[in-house]
Amino acid sequence: MIQSYRNRRSSSWIAEFDDLIRGASGGFLFGIPLLYTMEVWWIGSFAHPIRLLMAMILTFTIVFMLNRTDGFRKSSNTQASDAVIDSIEAMAIGIICCGLILVLLREITWQTALSETLGKLIYESMPFTLGVALANQFLGGETHSNNSNNPNQKPSDQGRLNATFADIGATLIGAMVIASNIAPTDEVPMLVAAVSGLWLLAVMLISLLISYAIVFQAGFAKQSQRQQQKGIFQRPISETLMSYLVSLFAAAVMLVFFSQLHLNDPWQMWLSYTIILGLPATIGGAAGRLAI
Amino acid sequence: MTELQENSHPHHLAKRPPRSLAEWVSFSIALCIVSVIAALVVYAWASDRDRPAALAVQKTEPIREVNGQFYIPFEIANSGGETVESVQVIAELKIGEEVLESGDLQFDFLSQGEKESGVFIFKRNPSAGQLVLRVSSYKIP
Repeated sequence: MIQSYRNRRSSSWIAEFDDLIRGASGGFLFGIPLLYTMEVWWIGSFAHPIRLLMAMILTFTIVFMLNRTDGFRKSSNTQASDAVIDSIEAMAIGIICCGLILVLLREITWQTALSETLGKLIYESMPFTLGVALANQFLGGETHSNNSNNPNQKPSDQGRLNATFADIGATLIGAMVIASNIAPTDEVPMLVAAVSGLWLLAVMLISLLISYAIVFQAGFAKQSQRQQQKGIFQRPISETLMSYLVSLFAAAVMLVFFSQLHLNDPWQMWLSYTIILGLPATIGGAAGRLAI
Repeated sequence: MTELQENSHPHHLAKRPPRSLAEWVSFSIALCIVSVIAALVVYAWASDRDRPAALAVQKTEPIREVNGQFYIPFEIANSGGETVESVQVIAELKIGEEVLESGDLQFDFLSQGEKESGVFIFKRNPSAGQLVLRVSSYKIP
C-alpha cells in the first residue's frame, strides 16, 4: 500500500519533469533562430518598460489560447483555470531557458544593466514561450504504439548500417537547415568575440544536453522507436555524441559555404565558430532525427 | 493526429486527473519567476521615468606601452535613465595648445546604468602632454 503510494508519488514527479522537458524542447526548436538574432537583443536593450509589460501580456494571451487546445502537457486543457496555470508555467520555462542561453552566449552578464537584461529576456522569451506551448503540435505526442518494433529481434548487419546512414542523413539535413539560416549572418562572429575559454566548453555541454533532451527525454513522437533504433550508435548517449559531431560538421560546412571561414584562418577560429553555430545546428539535427 | 490523442480529446473534462503535488510545486516556482520578472519591469519603469542620459568617460587601468604604442584603456558609463545609441568617444593628446594626436570610437548602445570599456592606441606617450577623453555625441533611439 505504502509502496504503491510512493510509486505513484515518484511517477507524478517524473511525469511533471517530462512535461517540463517537453515544453523546453519545443521552445528550443522554435526559439533558437531568434536567440541568434542580434536585432532582437538590440530591440530588447532599449525597449521601454511599458512595451515589455505589453509583450508579456501579449505572450500570455497567445499561449493561453494555445493551451486551451493543446499545450506542452500530455493531458490536454479545456478548463480556463488549467490553461492559465499552464500558460504561466510556459512563460517561466521560456524565461529560464532563454536566460540560460543568453548567459551562455554572454549577452547577459553581471555588467548588463537591469532594464537591458529584462528587455533581452522578455523579447527573446516570446517566441520561445510560443514554442513551449506548441511543443505537442510540433512533433506530435508519444504514441506508445511501437508493437511493430520488437526489441528482441536481431537486426541484420545490413539493416543496422542502413539505420545508421538514415540517422546521419536526417541529422545532417536538420542541422544544415538551421545552420544555413544562421551561418551567413553576423551573429556568429559577434558571439565568438564574446564567448571564449570555458564558456565554449559550456556551450558544447549545453548543446549535448538539449539534443539528448529533445530526442530521448521530451516524449515527442517516435521517442520509444528511437530508443530501439538499430543503428551502430543505438545507445542514446553515443547517438547524441555522434549527432553532435555530424551537426558540428554541418555547421563548419555552412560557415565555409557562406565564406565566414577560410582555409587559411587559424584553427582556433574554426573551433570557436563551429562550436557557436553547433548549438543551433544540433537542435536542428535532433529535430531532423525525430522527423524521419 | 495519433490514436491516443484522438481518444483523449473528446472527454478530457472528465479525464483530466487532479493536479499532483509535483504540478503544484512547479507551478509555484513558475509563478514566482514570472511575478519577479513582471515586478522588475514595473520597478525599472518607475525608477527611470523621464531621466535623460548622463554619460561619463574615465581612464581605468594604467596606460601600457607595447612595441612603441601606448594603450589607453577607458570606461564609459551611462548613469541616466535613458538608453542611447551611437555614442561617440573622442580622445585628444594636447601639448600646449596644439592637438598632436586624436582618436575616436563609437559604442552601439549604452542603456541605463550600463558600463562599457574600450582602448585608444596612441603613438606618442600621453604623459608627455595633456590627455582629454570626452563623449562628443549620441543618438536617441
